[in-house]
Amino acid sequence: MQSKTLSFNATLFRKNLTRFWPLWALASLIGALFPLAVLLDMIQRGNLGAVSAPEFTQMYYSAVSAVPVVNLVYAALCALAVWSYLYSARSVGLMHTLPIRREELFFTNFLSGLTMTLIPYAVTGVLCVIVSLFGGAFDAKGLAVTVLAVLGESFFYFSSATFAAFITGNAFAMPALYALLHFLAVLLDWLISSFAQGFIFGFSTSYTGVAEWLSPTVYLTHNVYASGQFEEVQRTFADGSTYTDYLLTRVDLESFWLVGAYAVAGVVLAALALVLYRSRRSETAGDVVAVGWLRPVFRYGVAGLCALLGGQFLYSLFWYGFQQGSYYDTLPMVVCLLAAGAIGYYGASMLLAKSLKVFRGSWKGLGLVLAGCVLVCCMLHFDLLNVAGRVPEASQIRSVDIRTADNSYTLTPGQDPALLEQARALHQAVIAGEAHVRALDDSRDFTLSEEADPNTTHTGLRIIYSLNNGTQVERWYYLPITRERLSQPDTYDHLLDQFVNSEAMKSRRLHLDDDFWAVTGGSLFVDARMESYDLGSREGSAILEAVGRDLRAGNWGTYDWFAVDSGSDYALDLGLSFEGPDGEGRDYISIVVNPDMTETVACLKRLGLVTDADLVTRRELYPEDYEDVVYDTSGREAVTVFGAAGSAAVSPA
Amino acid sequence: MIEVNSLVKRFDGFTALDGATLSVPAGSVYGLVGPNGAGKSTLIRHLTGIFRQDAGTVRLNGEDVWENAALKARIAAIPDDWYYFTQSSIRDMMRFYRGFYPKFSRERYERLKEVFHLDEKRPIRRLSKGMQKQAAFWLALSCMPDYLILDEPVDGLDPVMRRQVWSLVLADVAQRGTTVLVSSHNLRELEDVCDHVGIMDHGRVLLERSLAQLQDNMVKLQVVFPDGMAEVPAELPVLHASRIGRIHTLIMRMGAQEAEDLLARYNPLLVDAVPLTLEEIFIYELGGADYAVKDIVL
Repeated sequence: MQSKTLSFNATLFRKNLTRFWPLWALASLIGALFPLAVLLDMIQRGNLGAVSAPEFTQMYYSAVSAVPVVNLVYAALCALAVWSYLYSARSVGLMHTLPIRREELFFTNFLSGLTMTLIPYAVTGVLCVIVSLFGGAFDAKGLAVTVLAVLGESFFYFSSATFAAFITGNAFAMPALYALLHFLAVLLDWLISSFAQGFIFGFSTSYTGVAEWLSPTVYLTHNVYASGQFEEVQRTFADGSTYTDYLLTRVDLESFWLVGAYAVAGVVLAALALVLYRSRRSETAGDVVAVGWLRPVFRYGVAGLCALLGGQFLYSLFWYGFQQGSYYDTLPMVVCLLAAGAIGYYGASMLLAKSLKVFRGSWKGLGLVLAGCVLVCCMLHFDLLNVAGRVPEASQIRSVDIRTADNSYTLTPGQDPALLEQARALHQAVIAGEAHVRALDDSRDFTLSEEADPNTTHTGLRIIYSLNNGTQVERWYYLPITRERLSQPDTYDHLLDQFVNSEAMKSRRLHLDDDFWAVTGGSLFVDARMESYDLGSREGSAILEAVGRDLRAGNWGTYDWFAVDSGSDYALDLGLSFEGPDGEGRDYISIVVNPDMTETVACLKRLGLVTDADLVTRRELYPEDYEDVVYDTSGREAVTVFGAAGSAAVSPA
Repeated sequence: MIEVNSLVKRFDGFTALDGATLSVPAGSVYGLVGPNGAGKSTLIRHLTGIFRQDAGTVRLNGEDVWENAALKARIAAIPDDWYYFTQSSIRDMMRFYRGFYPKFSRERYERLKEVFHLDEKRPIRRLSKGMQKQAAFWLALSCMPDYLILDEPVDGLDPVMRRQVWSLVLADVAQRGTTVLVSSHNLRELEDVCDHVGIMDHGRVLLERSLAQLQDNMVKLQVVFPDGMAEVPAELPVLHASRIGRIHTLIMRMGAQEAEDLLARYNPLLVDAVPLTLEEIFIYELGGADYAVKDIVL
């Protein structure tokens, strides 16, 4: 009996559900384990009725944040089931012989597939509600949000799987294409960034995340999550002592709107799938790519991906051991890229042609791939886009994070215009010193430690510009610093030293004179006693003021680029934690206490945190960790001395 | 009436149908014959709405077939490799077809149960190839089609069941005016059931006529020439000649009377017209299209 509805066939709908019942029944069974586990847990703990509505809601929302990962697989299986007829000439023959228009076929199959996707969630949801009611708590709003989120995410995933199903005519290619579509953006981001790192001076981004929204599973997992608000309550133990407990009062699903946005994207993908279906040729059953104009995209896309991925793999396999310095040797990389690109090109051609005989007449396409590989390598080698030389204008910058010399600093144009200019000048000096850095990098002997040359040391410098347009520019340099260049005004060595050891930066390290940050506490670990203390805000403030006095007295904060080790510091791990207004942002700084910091030591003693017996240096406490190695002229280890303070003049054995 | 006009279909540069044109009168049984790869199945897939043509028209009763659900509801097709759902029985497939074909007759289905002695609850995949073919006929005929499109329909059926199936099809033609297009390599069988024949080769329909016209257009003669004439005269337009003793068997593209008049010039001792089989017509028509049986000695 044919349905009266114009675009829906009840027979086909029923047939799909009955044909593929093992799929949704098994998924429902697995889904039902979740509320069952919650129920058993409640019974086991004997706290029926003790779980609050927000706690149940938090459980729902936690489940919602897992839906993208579950749907990534399950929705694809449902789509593969209902569209499987497209992948065989026999089945497509039956379905397209039936007296039903493609729109109706599409709509009915789509609805049945979506129903199959949702059935396990419905089963799980109903059981969750029953468990909630059994537990004595029910949050209608939380349930509604959960239902909407699951509906939206399921719709999006099923639509995207449907779209992938219509691109191909092959059942094995469909999951591969689907996964590729879902992760292509993050894969390309990582591939291109990591590849560029090997060429461009200072380019350090292994993943920018600029196109992460095109990889929905990653984006949704990162952005849609449950966040709770807690209330501090005092509770009493049986013995009358009290303790602070935190009561969950409210739960929100962060970035819930994203689910709606992806659901809209799902509508677009479903519409595109219908357009593809209307023009789809039944004879494409079995083809890896069923859409004519996508075939060259697939061919060259696979070639490009293979070149990037396989090229780096081949390079690391065959050439990495011969590489001089931190950057790729361009010519070997070009060769690896060409080899991987050619493999990808012919692999894709073979898949498209369903034949191994694809070599005749393929030289033009192969030439295009190879030319593309060479062009990309040339662009990166010569930095044609001037990535390495880019220093954002001050007007473009919202903030700059600088991480160097074991500290990090955040500068903003409003509060620190002079420091920000200093940071830009430092960056420009580093760029100007590229040849010097590369030369030392290439000639660096990794077999010798830096003690072999006491006039040279290395430090890392990371600069992250957050720009007004929302993007970031991140650079990282591993800079050689020499005593000679430290005294030369225009060198980055000198500018870096000026920057790090300026009074302003020392103060910033302690958040002194900073209205934003307030000390909330900290921690102290006394190695001599192996005891730790949690510091309150008053103790933290007192210690901070004492360190500040040591700073002004010149006993703290000057960074020694050539310091050999931390053996002369006290064996104390002191840290202070800070918080911004209304809990906005948190920071934690570690303070190395040395014997010159008389004010800090006095403060710690006054607070009763340390005694004279605790004030031992690390070298005294752990002599075996501070072995002094003396090298002979050939770089061979000659003599090892334990516990000697400073460098020791020992004759070779 | 089925009308195919200048139908063109290409697959990745290969032209499967190259301007095929045919016309099947309403209520007739049309046999579509041709060598392997001639394009018969491709043409049939256009008639059933599976393929969309690159050029030309495919019309049934004046309407385009492509995406014409109302028209397709009047067509039942049995392809060479009939598809059924893996877990389904004949009864399951009957329910499925019933949901799509508005004229599906449950009554006819029940009556045909007596003809096809098949267990309708048994999964179709467990049936033999011939039994699966019977199931396909059972369901197709239950759809009460006005157009029946068959591709190698009796392949795999035993002789008794072949006769049974053809009698059912012909009864439908006689009683309901069903138009049947059947593609087969079994020319002997087609000769018994078809009233029209089309011959395809290289994606084109080389000729189509009623069987009677086809037989009138070609003649097979057994001739005994007078003494002294051992060979067939070279000037005779003979498609094929063979000889056993003194008897020459000649096949010529003309009417029987015209051929006898032509041979009368040589004062033959015997001239006897023998009916041509469809197989012979097929072979000698395609012989002209470079498809003759080659005398190859391996």
